[in-house]
Amino acid sequence: MSPTEVYQLNLGPITAHAFNKDRTQVAICPNNNEVQIYTKAGKDWNLRYTLAEHDKLVTSIDWAPESNRLVTSSQDRNTYVWNLEADVWKPTLVLLRINRAATFVRWSPLENKFAVASGARVIAVCYFDEEHNWWTSKHLKKPIRSSVLSLDWHPNNTLLAAGSADFKARVISAFIKGVDKKPPPTAWGEKFPFNTVLGEFSNGGGGWIHSVAFSPSGEALAFAGHDSEISIVYPGGAIQSIRLTSLPYLSLIWASEEKIIAAGHDCVPVLFEKINEKWKLSRTIDAGKKKVVGESTAFDRFRDWDSKGISSRGGNEDSELNTIHQNTITSIRYYAGTRENVTHFSTSGLDGKLVIWDLESLESQFRNLKV
Amino acid sequence: MSFRSIDIDALDEDILVQDELFVLSDGLEVDPETALSNVKTKEVEVRNCLTRGDTSNALIKAIETPPYGLHTSKAKNQNTKIVMDVLISTKATVGLVKSLSTEQQDILMKYIYRGMASPNLYNSAVLLSWHEKLTEAAGVGCIIRVITDRKTV
Repeated sequence: MSPTEVYQLNLGPITAHAFNKDRTQVAICPNNNEVQIYTKAGKDWNLRYTLAEHDKLVTSIDWAPESNRLVTSSQDRNTYVWNLEADVWKPTLVLLRINRAATFVRWSPLENKFAVASGARVIAVCYFDEEHNWWTSKHLKKPIRSSVLSLDWHPNNTLLAAGSADFKARVISAFIKGVDKKPPPTAWGEKFPFNTVLGEFSNGGGGWIHSVAFSPSGEALAFAGHDSEISIVYPGGAIQSIRLTSLPYLSLIWASEEKIIAAGHDCVPVLFEKINEKWKLSRTIDAGKKKVVGESTAFDRFRDWDSKGISSRGGNEDSELNTIHQNTITSIRYYAGTRENVTHFSTSGLDGKLVIWDLESLESQFRNLKV
Repeated sequence: MSFRSIDIDALDEDILVQDELFVLSDGLEVDPETALSNVKTKEVEVRNCLTRGDTSNALIKAIETPPYGLHTSKAKNQNTKIVMDVLISTKATVGLVKSLSTEQQDILMKYIYRGMASPNLYNSAVLLSWHEKLTEAAGVGCIIRVITDRKTV
């Protein structure tokens, strides 16, 4: 397999993407109120289903691998849970009770709950109400002062990390009586009734927290802020913040307990590594291709004038970046491997591309380069 | 379309105000008088460094512990003046700005933008030359942090 697979699924931005369990299907939102599901056919993706139930932009999609259910959130303040019945995706409305856009949604690891972040300064933790046969929610509200932009579940199915526009990343308990079994104590705390705040962190730079992620064990939290900074927190320990020279990151995941991958406005995924207990920027994952600057002939120049309306001065000037993604990367997701050792991940962004990255093969490429 | 001009946030009791954003970005309120007297002591030290020709220490002293706060505009103006004096009397070099820590670089960038905001008081050409060198050393991330940080100088 080549180190990267690149698919242009939309000409405009892709606001969210999520794969099914065996990675044969992908759900994306092409920057409108629809969710498109593509099926893999050889080297291509074919549009199979279009889910058009939302009224406004779909902000986030998550695909529960085991129960094969989709959950989508939208600026229309609604969330739908989708079930595949006789080759038709059927939506179920969720009782969210929010008066602003839903910004982010994620299934819990056990898939019996999901959390919806919103601009109404609340996180709705949703669970299935057997009695009434629908999805209902409880609100996490207390210390949140502004829109919630991202969420991540702790592997114990109970704790939730939230990044918010009030410059804080928080660890909050989303324990629901009757749905969850009492979880064992974690490094974040021992007892946690619903809405207990187990940690509140800030990187001090006053940037919106765009992304939060628990480490594979759940014993560490990483978050990226709009102040071009990423921070890693170990409960009881100090915050390690890395101030970057580049533009801010919008999304991050842990590739292992010692590796973090982040990407954002710089259009390239970047690898952070923990070496000798200290986190640092290791390298960019997309090395970028060298631009071939050929001599421009008079013929080329006139052809460009004619076909593109470009007056090229001394070479094939164009606006193309030498990276794979041509615009901001807004989302990184796991693709293959285990959570403790991610081998592949996928990214999507404003350029409408979906890219699958093979970490191992990319790393061996880099090793060869060093020699 | 007159409803479009209604400030709906004003009807919300639980509105997030500017002062609170300052606190949320880890800003600590200081007494304006103390802040001003601190800056004045600082001024003396910076002048001493400058007369000795020790420009790099003068710069570090001038930008350290800025008078953050919501009501410290007097101290802020005074401190900006000190930093500008150092910047104008020193030649901007990449080596000098590289020797600063990332935190110090961020603060210096805040002062450069602060200075450029009043072109009638401070020489923008000098500031632009500092800006160029600092961006070369600290990248665009440094500029982003000036924009996001509510702890203004």
